[in-house]
Amino acid sequence: MSNSPTKKGIFNASVLQNRGLGDKFSRLSLELEKKAHIPFSNASAGQFIQIDVSNLALPDEKLIPGELSDSARRNILLRRPFSFADIDSSKNSTIVEILYCVLGPATLRMKTLRTTDIVNLIGPLGTGFTISEDKKLAILAAGGMGAPPLIHLAKVLKNRCPNTEIIAFVGAKTKIDLSFFDIKTDKLKIKSDVILGEFAKHNIKTVVSTDDGSVGFKGFVTETLADWLRKNKPDGKNAIIYTCGPEAMLSATAALSSEFKIPCQVSLERRMACGTGLCQSCAVKCRDKTSGGTLYKLCCKDGPVFWSDEVVWE
Amino acid sequence: MGIKNKDIDLSVSLGSVKLKNPLITASGTCGYADELDDFMDINLLGGFITKSITLKPRLGNDVPRIVETDSGMLNAIGLANIGVEKFIQEKILMMARYKTPFFVNIAGQTIDEYVAVAEKLSQCPRIAGLELNISCPNVKQGGITFGTDPALVRQITTEVKKVVRDKILIVKLTPNVTDISVIARAAVDCGADALSLINTFTAMVIDIETKRPVLANRTGGLSGPAIKPIAVYLVNKVFNEVGKPAGVPIIGGGGIRTASDAIEFIIAGATAVTIGTAGFIYPDCAVKIMEGIKTYCLKHKISLAELIGSLK
Ligand SMILES: Cc1cc2nc3c(=O)[nH]c(=O)nc-3n(C[C@H](O)[C@H](O)[C@H](O)COP(=O)(O)OP(=O)(O)OC[C@H]3O[C@@H](n4cnc5c(N)ncnc54)[C@H](O)[C@@H]3O)c2cc1C
Ligand SMILES: Cc1cc2nc3c(=O)[nH]c(=O)nc-3n(C[C@H](O)[C@H](O)[C@H](O)COP(=O)(O)O)c2cc1C
Ligand code: FES
Repeated sequence: MSNSPTKKGIFNASVLQNRGLGDKFSRLSLELEKKAHIPFSNASAGQFIQIDVSNLALPDEKLIPGELSDSARRNILLRRPFSFADIDSSKNSTIVEILYCVLGPATLRMKTLRTTDIVNLIGPLGTGFTISEDKKLAILAAGGMGAPPLIHLAKVLKNRCPNTEIIAFVGAKTKIDLSFFDIKTDKLKIKSDVILGEFAKHNIKTVVSTDDGSVGFKGFVTETLADWLRKNKPDGKNAIIYTCGPEAMLSATAALSSEFKIPCQVSLERRMACGTGLCQSCAVKCRDKTSGGTLYKLCCKDGPVFWSDEVVWE
Repeated sequence: MGIKNKDIDLSVSLGSVKLKNPLITASGTCGYADELDDFMDINLLGGFITKSITLKPRLGNDVPRIVETDSGMLNAIGLANIGVEKFIQEKILMMARYKTPFFVNIAGQTIDEYVAVAEKLSQCPRIAGLELNISCPNVKQGGITFGTDPALVRQITTEVKKVVRDKILIVKLTPNVTDISVIARAAVDCGADALSLINTFTAMVIDIETKRPVLANRTGGLSGPAIKPIAVYLVNKVFNEVGKPAGVPIIGGGGIRTASDAIEFIIAGATAVTIGTAGFIYPDCAVKIMEGIKTYCLKHKISLAELIGSLK
């Protein structure tokens, strides 16, 4: 299936909902103007949008977490990139959902968005995940903040690849960092039996781990993934790994991919000024297959999704 | 009915090159043009300036290459580009699809390199002119040393001018000098057909947790709205002290985001204006700025020619 860059554009969107998920996370649903229909109906999981939040006000001082009270006062100039967590595109409306974590001045301002507010965005941007219907097994590995594109991908795989078995490995520092996945913590009885709503609703078997062991297995997501691969030895020709998370985790997953000979796609993050291929700020060091040397690709255009064996991991 | 926006003539001349309006993309901020296709009709622009092109391809710096600052950003891309050979083979034909005149920005580590790049490009009929980047602050042995030393500016302008044939030669100045007019005069004396200013200010952002600079290159160039008032001042200074007496046009830029920003530069003495950082946020903003300039001219019953350098 094609995952190549689609035509992109600048669109206004009105906020349908901006719902908090725990203290640090939120889910923002945006309804795009009509003319966004064609580009967004062709968008793929793993692509992203750039949102202009430079003109939003800060939340009330009391609502600003102490550790952000200083940096919150910085002005915003550039747009901020966010992966799709879902796209719902019908003839009459285009709805894009993003999941965001409050980390600094822009995401703090996003918390103040209310239903019917208007924001401006550019998208769909970049190159998303490659999907092939003939895979027997798709392994999703999400670390920390890397959840959003994999939540979208899970839905797309379920719809498009009915014959593919999907299993997910999800890791976070601690229990509350799993909020993106709609975690049902209060109902938990056994620590390792964690239900993540976002995957459970598609009947995707999920293995959860936390660094502190507050839920699921204690340890890194790459450890639970490695254990599972060792035990199950899936046939690499019929399987694929999709992963998103901190770069150290992606590089460890890339190593597992070559050890077990399973192709792997990683979704990377870089600081972006434009997000549209204009500025070259988002360089990703890659192997140059023709010369044997290295070259820089652009995270915003050639990525954010790359094959793990083309990236030079440092 | 009276005159409308569409009847306003915004055409200007840079030496022998006529632009249908004064809006030009700034070097390094608009890729090789095709990246903008989805957002705007490139043919609406007055001109297009490419990323700096060097003799050999350059990979550029490690990341982070950019960091946001209050009302601005630092970049240290490190002149990442495909090199002049590949540029000629792959990009010129693509860019020739547009009617907009395009200018190729060139950079190098030695005078010989500049001359070699200029020589190759001057054989391409579709190129309207070359912009000499003697001001990129990111490359250790290159940029900055040329643009801050009047003797080197004379030498490099003279040598490149010899090979550019019918193309116009624009010299792009760095603001990282004590007196920018001294450098401007050196360029004009040695044959610059136009001056372009300003490039970015050398700057640093420190991560106070690690006590390290945020950029891998340690320093970067500050661009965006933060530099605009300084850029307006410098354009006016160079216009009064060099451009106007010598009859050499100025391409002004630095932090332009709105039509009123652009009009400030024109009043200060700029014949044309460049849009850089602002295009990262609104890639189609040049078109809106152009409409805004027309509206202004209509409202004030003034032609663009009269507006240039009209500062009281
Ligand atoms: C392609 C892509 C997709 C993304 N998708 C999501 C998403 O779905 N959900 C989500 O919550 N976040 C996502 N992000 C990250 C998000 O863009 C940043 O968290 C956001 O820009 C922070 O803005 P801020 O002003 O609130 O905080 P800032 O103060 O700008 O940043 C907070 C902290 O994060 C660091 N940081 C910011 N941007 C980056 C970056 N690009 N790479 C590495 N470090 C960075 C800063 O150094 C700082 O320490 C994505 C980033 C990229 C590049
Ligand atoms: C990401 C980035 C890359 C740039 N690359 C170049 C370059 O290759 N050559 C050059 O002469 N100027 C380069 N510049 C400088 C711009 O052309 C312009 O002079 C400067 O950014 C000021 O204008 P602005 O504030 O409108 O961006 C670059 C600027 C940015 C932000
Ligand atoms: S962010 Fe500008 S090229 Fe990728």
